[in-house]
Amino acid sequence: MDTTGMVLLWVLGVLALVGGVLVFTLNSMARVTFALLGSLVCVGGVVAVLRLPYLGVVIVLMMVMEMVIMAVFMIAYMMNPAGLMPMSMLHNKRGSLVVSGLVFAALVAGIFLVPWPDRTGARPRDTTFQVGMSLMGDQMLTMVTLGFVLLATMVGATVLATHRGRYDRFGDDLDQRPANDPADGGVGR
Amino acid sequence: MGLTAVLIRAAALRPRVLLVTMPGGTGVRLAAETELRSRDWPSAPTPAGADLMLVAGPDCSRLGPALDRLWQDMPRPCVRVRAVTADEVAPVLDAGRTRLGAPGGEPGEPDGSVGMNGHGSAEPESAGRPDGEPARAHREEQTEGEHDVRGVTGHEEGEHDHDGHPGHGHGDMEMPGGLAMAEPGEDRDGLTLDRLHVALGPFLADWPAGLTIRVVLQGDVIQRADLDEPAVGRPGDPFWSRPWIRAASGEPVGVGEAARLRAAAHLDSLGRLLSVAGWPAEAVTARRLRDDLLDGAPASAVLPRVERFARRVGRSRTLYWLTRGIGPLSAVDARAAGVTGPAVRAAGGDVPARYRQWLTDAVGDVRRMNATARLDPVAQESPRGRWDAERPPSAALATLLPRLLVGAELGAARLVVASLDPDPDELAVGRLEAAGG
Amino acid sequence: MAETGTWWALLVAPAMLLGFAAAALAADAALDARNAGRPITVSTVVRPFLAVPRAVLAQPRRLPASDRLLWRAGVITVPVAAVLSTLVIPFGDHVVADLSVGVVWFNAMEVLTWAGLWLAGWGPNAAFSLVGGYRFLAQGLAYELPLMFALISAATGAQSLRVTDIAGAQHGLWYAVWMPFAFVVYLAGVLAFSFLGPFAYPAGRDVAEGVLGETSGVDRLLLEAGRWLWLAAGAAMAVPLFLGGGAGPGLPPWAWSLVKTLLVLAALVWTLRRLPMVRADRYVELAWVVLLPLSVLQTLVPALTDLSL
Repeated sequence: MDTTGMVLLWVLGVLALVGGVLVFTLNSMARVTFALLGSLVCVGGVVAVLRLPYLGVVIVLMMVMEMVIMAVFMIAYMMNPAGLMPMSMLHNKRGSLVVSGLVFAALVAGIFLVPWPDRTGARPRDTTFQVGMSLMGDQMLTMVTLGFVLLATMVGATVLATHRGRYDRFGDDLDQRPANDPADGGVGR
Repeated sequence: MGLTAVLIRAAALRPRVLLVTMPGGTGVRLAAETELRSRDWPSAPTPAGADLMLVAGPDCSRLGPALDRLWQDMPRPCVRVRAVTADEVAPVLDAGRTRLGAPGGEPGEPDGSVGMNGHGSAEPESAGRPDGEPARAHREEQTEGEHDVRGVTGHEEGEHDHDGHPGHGHGDMEMPGGLAMAEPGEDRDGLTLDRLHVALGPFLADWPAGLTIRVVLQGDVIQRADLDEPAVGRPGDPFWSRPWIRAASGEPVGVGEAARLRAAAHLDSLGRLLSVAGWPAEAVTARRLRDDLLDGAPASAVLPRVERFARRVGRSRTLYWLTRGIGPLSAVDARAAGVTGPAVRAAGGDVPARYRQWLTDAVGDVRRMNATARLDPVAQESPRGRWDAERPPSAALATLLPRLLVGAELGAARLVVASLDPDPDELAVGRLEAAGG
Repeated sequence: MAETGTWWALLVAPAMLLGFAAAALAADAALDARNAGRPITVSTVVRPFLAVPRAVLAQPRRLPASDRLLWRAGVITVPVAAVLSTLVIPFGDHVVADLSVGVVWFNAMEVLTWAGLWLAGWGPNAAFSLVGGYRFLAQGLAYELPLMFALISAATGAQSLRVTDIAGAQHGLWYAVWMPFAFVVYLAGVLAFSFLGPFAYPAGRDVAEGVLGETSGVDRLLLEAGRWLWLAAGAAMAVPLFLGGGAGPGLPPWAWSLVKTLLVLAALVWTLRRLPMVRADRYVELAWVVLLPLSVLQTLVPALTDLSL
């Protein structure tokens, strides 16, 4: 890796850590969410600097969408005045300190204990293809199954969480058209 | 210094105007809209985006504080002018622009306002806001129930509730900005969400001037709506019902003249509806047609254009798709509430039915503009229904609003109000008559 | 193969984007003037730019309990993301950074607008502004997935995420021709992420300009500029993705890129005034029930073509 890469790596790494610390020290739910987003964007940058551009940029893309949606839910459901009301982000301080200390120690130990493999062969020019092959090549069936399981989970969770069922919408004999919805959708089901 | 002066002059070439219509100021508003359109001065819906505030119409003491709040919310440099009659609009706008482009006031300093023609507004209405401090004060006062006017400053009190939570207990802490907390309540989906109190009106853009509806929002869904007493301007002279009032008092009025005004009234309402629906291009078309009608353009010249407009808007599938099913009002309910105008005749009773009825009526009225018979104020409908000084047609429309708004999203609610478009000036007549009799 | 990385390209790309955005704004002003019955003169198309001195002069807004930091961050994000997206867009033979994942880069920059607009709505602590910010998220959930599949369709057709490869892979038959649905969905997405015209829902007149409503001065200028810069960036990106990039007979590649970009931009500006504002409560269902399945089917077309080759 050249000098620019090293500098970028360090800067992004430090910024990601700073963002992570801010998540626990800021006192507004909106700011915390976006500190976390900043941290994750830096992680995306780190991955891109490590010459995995696809994964790096996709991390940025996904994390922005995810964090913005998360901000909505965090603010909507936080029990104490969240976004604009100052609040502490720390709960159960002693317990969480112990847990996080242990996890950190385990991860650091992992870095030194795992026998990392050495590089064999030349580095491919476009790693996107390799990432795709290693994810999809031998594991296509796994990925397809995983996709369906995820989708089924999301649909199932939504159906279970929905307050109104089809009898509320279509009447007791399911013959009421149009459906009795609080607001009409765009397709007119 | 030189550069600043150049910038000020350049910026003043095209001021963005916050047009505030006072109750009874319909005529002045129409003149102002025409003038702004021909000058290409954009109209800003919020004080934040404006640098010239034009108050159109007579003074109304009850709305004074609301006006002052709007004025305080405008970023400096800015100018406030008032036009009491339609003839004053053009000179007042010129004066405002001159004042805005004067190199005297450094940017960031509050400007005085410009008054014209000795209508009592010639003294500078200074609204100093050195560094936001007074603004904060006025907001605190608002939270005690005087909620803002354009809704633009309705505070984001939502997302807060009273629930103490062990981890986050901040019991008696001071609220940021001195804002009150919102109380939680059941919402339509069975969740408990915070309620936000916002007042729609009296000066919201594309809104019946002077009408105020206080709503309780959860998210952007209206959970409760209450109609405020309309602020009364000058004792009732509703612009759009003048021929009927004159005819009712025995003066001879031609049917053609009444039809012309009714068509213009419908086009005015359509312009407002299309603007709320986010179709500014067609809204401008509607307003141009309205102005041509009020200017006395011959029927033969206007008819093809009105027909083309009616075709384009009436047959727009997108507009229909976006508005269908909103604000359902059956003819039976409407009649029971005392509605007599196009809103009753609109078959189907939702927003598209009502705008299509307006379009049909407008085309019919333009065809009838050359009629010379004498206007019978009872047989012939005024724009919003059968004219009755004791119970003007807009009163029935306004009383319908709260129950149509409950459960609607903010955007849908705006469409409902625009599709019924009660005229607050008529309400003033009704109340005065009722008080007098 | 495209030339990349000359230092001056770094300056020229934003300048050209600004130029396209200004052209779009001027065209829109001219159409406005025609609609309003005003004569169309040189001053007609110049007047919108008087908003710039206005913005420089106007006092910034102070609101009680606003979150100025997040508000500013959001306002700045929108135009900056638009400019960053142009890094991967080839113009003729030139491109600033020919990333191997250019399409994903463009997409990621466009998604930054989500964060930017939500913050711009959240920051001022005002009801209508907040509604505007949330409206963009609702709109985003509707337009984003079909848009992603439109991008994927083009990338699948070329079997590459590199934008210059996609432009080069179209050998005379534009993707717009044999993937028309993806092209249309992409253009709708462009209007949606520039929140203009039919997709001005987050800044709708019914909520007093929503996210824009409380902004003044430079803040407003940045957000408004962001809208038109995104429109221009979207139009410029449509050319390599669906219209064969700079390829064409007779003229040099840069000229073809220029002509095609201007044509797409003109079509978009024309569309702005043809449709009323699409509210998300209607559009989300349409997007998920109709557009998304059709987009997936559209992606299947180049995928199957790739397999059979």
